[in-house]
Amino acid sequence: MTVDLLTLNWGLLAPELTIVILSVIITLADLFMKNGGDRKAFAWLSVLGIALATYFTYQDLGQPVQSLLNDTYRVDSFGTMFKLIMLIGTGLVFMMSIYYVDKKEIKYDGEYYYLLLTALLGSMIMASSGDLITLYIGLELLSISSYILAGIRKTNLKSNEAAFKYVVTGSVSSAILLYGASFLYGVTGTTNIIGIAQAVQGAFNAGFDFYIYLGFFMFVVGLGYKISIVPAYMWAPDVYEGAPTPITAFLSVVSKAAGFAIVMRLLFTIFAAGNIATGEINAETGMPINFFSDEMTFYLAVLAGLTMIIGNTMAARQINVKRMFALSSVAQAGYILVPLAVVKINSPVVMNISFSNMIFYLMAYLMMNLGAFAVISLVTKANDTDELKAFAGLYHRNPWIGVAMTFFLLSLAGLPVTAGFIGKFNIFVNALLFESYYLAAIMVVTSVVSYFYYFNIVRQMYMRTGNTEAKLAVPFGLQLVVLLTFLGTVLFGMFPNVLIDFISTNFSVMDLFTPGM
Amino acid sequence: MTGQYLAFFIFALMAITGGVFMINLSRVIHMVLSIGLSFFGVAGLFIMLQAEFLAFVQVLIYAGAITIMMAMGTMMTQGGDEGEKPKRRLHNVLSFLSAVLVGAFLLYGIYTTSWPTEPTDLGANNIKEIGVTLFSNFVIPFELASILLLVALVGAIVLAKRDGEKD
Repeated sequence: MTVDLLTLNWGLLAPELTIVILSVIITLADLFMKNGGDRKAFAWLSVLGIALATYFTYQDLGQPVQSLLNDTYRVDSFGTMFKLIMLIGTGLVFMMSIYYVDKKEIKYDGEYYYLLLTALLGSMIMASSGDLITLYIGLELLSISSYILAGIRKTNLKSNEAAFKYVVTGSVSSAILLYGASFLYGVTGTTNIIGIAQAVQGAFNAGFDFYIYLGFFMFVVGLGYKISIVPAYMWAPDVYEGAPTPITAFLSVVSKAAGFAIVMRLLFTIFAAGNIATGEINAETGMPINFFSDEMTFYLAVLAGLTMIIGNTMAARQINVKRMFALSSVAQAGYILVPLAVVKINSPVVMNISFSNMIFYLMAYLMMNLGAFAVISLVTKANDTDELKAFAGLYHRNPWIGVAMTFFLLSLAGLPVTAGFIGKFNIFVNALLFESYYLAAIMVVTSVVSYFYYFNIVRQMYMRTGNTEAKLAVPFGLQLVVLLTFLGTVLFGMFPNVLIDFISTNFSVMDLFTPGM
Repeated sequence: MTGQYLAFFIFALMAITGGVFMINLSRVIHMVLSIGLSFFGVAGLFIMLQAEFLAFVQVLIYAGAITIMMAMGTMMTQGGDEGEKPKRRLHNVLSFLSAVLVGAFLLYGIYTTSWPTEPTDLGANNIKEIGVTLFSNFVIPFELASILLLVALVGAIVLAKRDGEKD
């Protein structure tokens, strides 16, 4: 079989190509600029390019599933949703970086910007790959860029430690993921994800169940590192602490979203599609055949429960803000996992509810976590300390930032009137609806634990006095980030229907199981 | 005992001893040489599986380029002090036990599976097949891999470059 590469619809790749061209332009411009020159213009250029890519991605909404070259790259509503989250997240991270990056600490600021772009490219490829090989290359592109970005503050010992720990744990997790993938490839004979899905049930019944279990567990462990859930969350506090703050924000939002995208793409397509895509019905019960999905959701539920408990209790003990937020984002990953763990894979409608809830929460999480990290990067840099006391008296030094941070924290804790509340409430109802009472109970109890550490920051902001009462000036880029995320957090909290309708009109879970045209 | 069995035995022994030495030796240059031995063993195993293209790539890239590059890297960086390794008995015992357990578990699984016994000929034309798939179906990941290499190169320079007082 030969393919005429020139006749393919390469326009599908427009968002990715925009990012590639942008990073090439920045690399070349960096080459011709003076060594000591200021490279803040690169960040604004990147924001513009990302806006263009977002526009191209937005055009893909509502289209049927399309793909290039036997599904090695595919455009479906699932991938497009995640790409929108990643693009907006990275755009905000760029605006945050403008203020953060300075020549003294980060000597190679040109590289900083284009490595951030290649990391974004990797995550976008992960979201829209329909083949294990493309998916793995995207994953490595994201990971390798992140390793370097974590260690880019070369003179800072913590940053070196972060990069080293990240590269070691990240490589181990990639190796485990690949080993698992090799088993599934071995028993199904294809790397195409939908192809595996169609063959896996036959292989299971033909006596190769051992390898399918191995593949599944290795996927869970390998992917668990990427979304930092129990038991593979230990790297998160160290890496988040040492990495530059905007990069920490990137890791906790964009990298995590990419991780969730491949968790759903791999686990749900491969181990659930057998009954959804083929529509086979069990003759005795009249229900669709579940060869693995009930077992899978049980394991995911155990992991989600443990992640919520351990993440929240560990976070309560931290005094370093970045470590606290690292563990808080571990806990948040637990909440995001709940809809996946309670989902009953028997009809597309039911799956759509769970997956839409998860995407809503990811969008809310994007807003509130990036906003919180913007304030953290401002405050820790202004006070030159990463400890909680950096927040002391923030309200008196800059009331607007204090109020905005309060809303981000309320949202992270899941209290009204914020997007985080709506998201968490939907997930909670979802868990009750599908009779996962244990998970619902764990969610409530751990949320109460989380009030303790989130309100610790609030207390510092309003009731403690800092070393200085001087007004805290906020640079333009950060003002913009805080304003946008604040508006997102509050408005989507007051009018959640706007976002819920957007997701329900543009997202269909069946796209995961449809081979592209 | 057939010749094939003997060859398999020798290559497997090379691959395993190389790996074990690599972990246990203390000087970097010795580690590099033993991982080279392991690469050659794996290349031999590939030939026995009729994957001669992979075997040559294994020798060219892994046994050749990567081993040499690591050797050069070792020579260029100043040899650090090879101080006493901290002795962690419990840690060693536990890691040995878990490795044995995982290995035994995998072996158990492999031996209890009933594999199809009819012979298939996957080896014919495999170089041509790899070439055709690489440049037709997998052209997107192939191009992405070049960006990946570029990123790794830039990153290595950024992190490893010694910053003097002036450029």
